Amino acid sequence: MGIAKKFRQTFSTVPILGWFLGILTAVLIEYFWGYDYISYYLGLPKIPVLFGALIMLKQPLMIPGALAYDLVVYVIPVLAVAKLTSFITNPGAALLEKLPLWLSAVIHLACFYAILHLWAGINDYRILVVKLTLVSIILTVSVNVINGYQGEFSCSHPGFMALGAYVSSILTLMLFTNDKIFGTALLPPALGPYLFPLVLLAGGAAAAIGSLAVAIPSFRTRGDYLAIISLAFMFIVKSAVENLHVIGGARGMGGQPDLAPLPVIFIWTMLCIWIIHNFVTSVLGKALNTVRDDEAAAESMTVKTRKTKMTAFMFGAFWAGIAGGLFAHVLTYINPGMFSINRLAEILAMVYFGGLNSIVGSIVGAVSINVLGEALRPLELFKWIIIPLILIFVMIFRPYGLISFTEINAKKLLQAKKHKSQQGVSP
Amino acid sequence: MRKIAVLTVVAFSVAMLFSSLALGARKTIIKIGINAPLTGDIPKVGEGTKYAAQMWLEDIEKAGGLEVGGKKYDVELVIEDNESKAESAVKANTKMISQDDVLAIIGPQSSKQAVPAGEVANKYKTVMISPWSTNPNTTLDRPYVFRGCFLDPFQGPVVANFITEEFGFTKAAVLYDVASDYPKGLAEVFKDAWEAKHGAGSVVAYESFTTKDTDFSSQLTKIVKSGAQVLFTPQYYNEVPLIVSQAKDLGWTGPIVGSDSWGSAETVELCGEDCYGLFFSSHYAAAGAKGATKAFIDRYEKTYGYIPDDVAALTWDALRLAQQAIQDAGKITGRIEKDREAVRDALAQIKDFDGITGKMTFTQEGDPIKCAVIVKINNQGEYEFYGSSCP
Repeated sequence: MGIAKKFRQTFSTVPILGWFLGILTAVLIEYFWGYDYISYYLGLPKIPVLFGALIMLKQPLMIPGALAYDLVVYVIPVLAVAKLTSFITNPGAALLEKLPLWLSAVIHLACFYAILHLWAGINDYRILVVKLTLVSIILTVSVNVINGYQGEFSCSHPGFMALGAYVSSILTLMLFTNDKIFGTALLPPALGPYLFPLVLLAGGAAAAIGSLAVAIPSFRTRGDYLAIISLAFMFIVKSAVENLHVIGGARGMGGQPDLAPLPVIFIWTMLCIWIIHNFVTSVLGKALNTVRDDEAAAESMTVKTRKTKMTAFMFGAFWAGIAGGLFAHVLTYINPGMFSINRLAEILAMVYFGGLNSIVGSIVGAVSINVLGEALRPLELFKWIIIPLILIFVMIFRPYGLISFTEINAKKLLQAKKHKSQQGVSP
Repeated sequence: MRKIAVLTVVAFSVAMLFSSLALGARKTIIKIGINAPLTGDIPKVGEGTKYAAQMWLEDIEKAGGLEVGGKKYDVELVIEDNESKAESAVKANTKMISQDDVLAIIGPQSSKQAVPAGEVANKYKTVMISPWSTNPNTTLDRPYVFRGCFLDPFQGPVVANFITEEFGFTKAAVLYDVASDYPKGLAEVFKDAWEAKHGAGSVVAYESFTTKDTDFSSQLTKIVKSGAQVLFTPQYYNEVPLIVSQAKDLGWTGPIVGSDSWGSAETVELCGEDCYGLFFSSHYAAAGAKGATKAFIDRYEKTYGYIPDDVAALTWDALRLAQQAIQDAGKITGRIEKDREAVRDALAQIKDFDGITGKMTFTQEGDPIKCAVIVKINNQGEYEFYGSSCP
């Protein structure tokens, strides 16, 4: 305990910017010396992708090597640089503090993305994992609007995702590629990246309109009834696509152009987080929480419960549609079987693991379930025992998820860290 | 602070001490990736794939490595689980190609994983052989993707011809899973082939259900009433026993014919005597096999305790094809991109490859030209060779 406390004390003076600088150093070390020197002398066949988790589980003999690699490349440089540069980064952070919060946040995000890009760029497998994790974040945050802030139990998210995925895939196949089903490209393929946002929006809109099919008949229902109606909706979408031969039926649809590189997905994810954060902290978001807590009381306090519920539901579905569109263009193939009960279980696991009513919780949930799923891949069957076990323990000890009903204060997070005496309590 | 520093140094030096044992281990190893559904809907398929691959590796190790251009190389298998999910198959392929530096990939087996995974393999210019995927899109316009089995457009007419010649029937019924791409595709091909032979409307009942359905009585009642003489059902081993026994209960007396998806060892185990005497088309027949095929079956049965199904046999052939292509490529330069290209070129050149599931030559698209086998389930519950049909 003593060490942990001391550790925290030592590093409490490091601002976020300092950590970024530390991680950047680590990534640069990996980038330049990782393969040729460090992993070579440690006897590793290659740079360990996910901090050595895969290689450690597959070949236990490599554990010391992989741990040493993590220590040399990540732990030591990050800690050392973060601590040693705090005399520059603190004034830097203080300077940024003078800027408007949004600008400071954008600058921080840009730094973060630069590091992420460099780190992922070392290996294409990392890029794919990061891409799918970001898509999962959009999904989880959007399902949190309905299952968390609105307090319903909606099961139709895979259906919304399917709508978004199919509508945007049909559009890109029709507009930008020479496809068997839709014939030659209607627009020059060079326009693809510029019009892709519109295509995604169309997919999101389709999902939002589709969500009306759940929202209208389930106005008066709550809890279990909504769960059943929304579950039915998911199956309707899946069966409908399976029986539509025009778009490939059960065989699926492939050949989407690769319009979703990492920066595009990152920007959409940040947009999603920002917009949903604004949504849930707006008047409408507060109204949504009152509807969750007591619908009758909310109605009597002049909250239009029907309109509030509908808006939130469509809003959540819209982002699920966007996530579906991105997902389809990452994999460049979709089939209706992807948007079924398995996907639902995965989405619900992410949102309940991370935490209800919290965007940070959703991000934590999506990232941890995704990374765990990849890191434990070598365990095969046991992976499906370990992950559910973790979920069970989370549900026992933290019934609302790891981080629920709280939000991180961006201002406090990004500010410069002065000495204890000046600041009071360190976070 | 001091404690932390000391701890770090100690941890670091211990780690260095151990890892130095492995120093200099970076030499040229031939790595073959296996992308198999070890968990998920069809774990039996994954198991067969894995076992066949391990048997192949055993052979190589016994020979002291794989000889390429007069030099022996160590071979390593990278077996990845694709959870029977498309995105997981894509991740597995990306990982094997960019992280493990595999020379060739065997798998995935099902088309719904092989189609997107093939895209990845083709993008990174790595040879991928899918032993079992029958969807034309798997190899279409992908020079680096091959397959080890015949396609549905070939298998459907084979079955239709067989029924016509064997029984002389003119009215057929089809029962298939509309939500799964393999049964659906094959049912369509069969219907077209049958109607081309016997005229429009000769498929008197064309009934469907959805994956995970277990009660087929309404569809089967319709089929029984339709006056069909034969029932064709291209389903997997988990559904066939249910369909067969429910059909018998509802008074179906005609023959029931299946396709290569029946070929799993589980079909007869779950179905029992109800399935005796039925026919299906397949890649190979285990009972009464000769030569290399028999040697493979005996060895597999001895090691793992059951007769290998067609997935295992096809995986074995795919691995042997990859091996042959690597050897034909002539030399391993150690520069993986170049080696992969050489392997692809060699694989496309292979003529009359003598596999345990028949002779194979690849077409331009990377699909093999090979014979289909009609298998009869005999009264001991074994899969017996009944006839074959070649293109």
